[in-house]
Amino acid sequence: MKTTLLLNTSMLLTLLLILTPMLLPLLSKKLQNSPTTIIQATKAAFLTSLVPTMLFLFTGTDNITSYWEWSLITNFKIPLSLKIDQYSTLFLSTALFVTWSILQFASWYMIADPHITKFFSYLLTFLIAMLILTTANNMFLLFIGWEGVGIMSFLLIGWWQGRTEANTAALQAVLYNRIGDIGLILSMAWLASTTNSWDMQQLLPNTTETSTLPLLGLILAATGKSAQFGLHPWLPAAMEGPTPVSALLHSSTMVVAGIFLLIRTHPLFTNNQIALTLCLCLGALSTLFAATCALTQNDIKKIIAFSTSSQLGLMMVTIGLNLPQLAFLHISTHAFFKAMLFLCSGSIIHNLNGEQDIRKMGGLQKMLPTTTSCLTIGNLALMGTPFLAGFYSKDLIIENLNTSHLNAWALSLTLMATAFTATYSLRMTILIQTGQTRMSPITPMNENNPTIINPITRLALGSIITGLLITTYITPMHTTPTTMPTYIKSAAMLLTISGIILAIELSNMTHTLTQPKQNTLLNFSSSLGYFNPLTHRLSSLSLLNTGQKISSHLIDLSWYKKMGPEGLAAMQLTATKTSTPFHTGLIKTYLGSFALSIILLLLIH
Amino acid sequence: MSLLHLSFYSTFAISSLGLAFHRAHLISALLCLESIILSIYIALSTLPIENQTPSLTLMPILILAFSACEAG
Repeated sequence: MKTTLLLNTSMLLTLLLILTPMLLPLLSKKLQNSPTTIIQATKAAFLTSLVPTMLFLFTGTDNITSYWEWSLITNFKIPLSLKIDQYSTLFLSTALFVTWSILQFASWYMIADPHITKFFSYLLTFLIAMLILTTANNMFLLFIGWEGVGIMSFLLIGWWQGRTEANTAALQAVLYNRIGDIGLILSMAWLASTTNSWDMQQLLPNTTETSTLPLLGLILAATGKSAQFGLHPWLPAAMEGPTPVSALLHSSTMVVAGIFLLIRTHPLFTNNQIALTLCLCLGALSTLFAATCALTQNDIKKIIAFSTSSQLGLMMVTIGLNLPQLAFLHISTHAFFKAMLFLCSGSIIHNLNGEQDIRKMGGLQKMLPTTTSCLTIGNLALMGTPFLAGFYSKDLIIENLNTSHLNAWALSLTLMATAFTATYSLRMTILIQTGQTRMSPITPMNENNPTIINPITRLALGSIITGLLITTYITPMHTTPTTMPTYIKSAAMLLTISGIILAIELSNMTHTLTQPKQNTLLNFSSSLGYFNPLTHRLSSLSLLNTGQKISSHLIDLSWYKKMGPEGLAAMQLTATKTSTPFHTGLIKTYLGSFALSIILLLLIH
Repeated sequence: MSLLHLSFYSTFAISSLGLAFHRAHLISALLCLESIILSIYIALSTLPIENQTPSLTLMPILILAFSACEAG
């Protein structure tokens, strides 16, 4: 059987199917888009994408397809080449599945929006950019996809452009992503000048030591795009966008682009211990910081956003352990349950007529049974409950962490974050689903619409079986650690259970509390570590101050006024004013003394 | 002293006293100044001849230049 031909054809067919809603309206006035056509196109693309994925899983066929070539200068060729390998096929299927469910959900969520078709086409453009990024075989194409997802993120976060918060959040996202782009362009420039190619195949078999500069650039790019600590504030702020946007971009696909970049270029990192340790420590810090901030949040979407940020930190930690395949596994499983969590929160928000504060929800278990059951499944998967999807990736990561020779600080931070994950997830579940209702009595609560139920249950099914499916069919690239002491093997479980116990205790204690007392730790957590006011105000203040000092004070005032032309004139004036009193004008006396000296002269001679 | 020395020495003395005492018209002061300069010029012209130092020949011209600047 000609597997290569079949692989290529089905891959191209998938990509063409997903491009169709973008291209057809340009050809004829009658073929306009509608939400339904876009959903159908995505569903068809998903089903077609299963063909190359199955082919890859069963035969291991890798492929690189090169089409056209941009010849910018004679010895630097940039072909338009797509790589079909484990990462791109699995990601393609996962992303298309998740997008299909999200689009179906969005046709219910955004039904009151007059520009719903534009919304759907934005989401589709985003998906195309993301697929370009993942199937790219050279850095140029990856950069195109990278910028594409950044721009679409800006447009989608600021969808409700009448809100100032949405506009500032969109701007914040673009600015932080741009700082990361500096790193990406730096590494691309280094790679172009040192290795004369942007092809992955030429860069990667670099088993000798790589210089740290391009790796730092790549890490900076990942920090910006994947919201690691330092460039993280845009991710919680991005929750200003509609829930389908949060579900698609800021949980499953866009934010993993940074990690995906590091996965694609991981052979460059293998021998450079500095870069690996940097990834490790940065990831550990991000995961703990985000988990700490999530503990005291009261907005559902912000809790899930911080949860995403924390999981991204965990993926970065995995890269720092030199395990890119495991990071990719976590990306795939995380996409399912995180998207489902967002969709459930979207359903809850709409059913409560716009209420996003979990302190004003309660007892939804009986009122929205399907949504809340899937919310519970998602939270359990996030916590790493055995044999759900999250378990296969998260437990493996923790096991590898515990059995590797690494930084103890990074290890302890990650373990603490694992415990916190359980805590905030359970807090969210308890406050939303159990207890007496704290919402207003009149709510348009109705979840009996198949457009909501089907996507959520589909994703729930995915959250349950994906872990098992992927680990069964993918050949691991490194040997998993098989022997370790019992307490290390069950470390993740024990930490999760301790987090659960903590959450239950705290919720029992604070059950009737109306306002929590303020102390240092609570303030630190709820104001997100004071990071936002400090950096946002300090940096712009210092920059503008320096600018004013140089241009206005230094140049205009001191050089032109005090030292330049006017200063010279002032100096002359002072000298004149000082010497005027000396001219007293006693001419007769002077002439008399003159005559006296002449007479004396005559007398002497 | 010789006749030459007497002539420019007395010219210098009388012109200086005239500069000091005749104060009614400023033009008289100017004329006296010019005659002082004239006497100095004559003295300086005979100086290189009397003392056999040809290098001082330039002096009278310099004095004229500076005095012209001073008067003008």
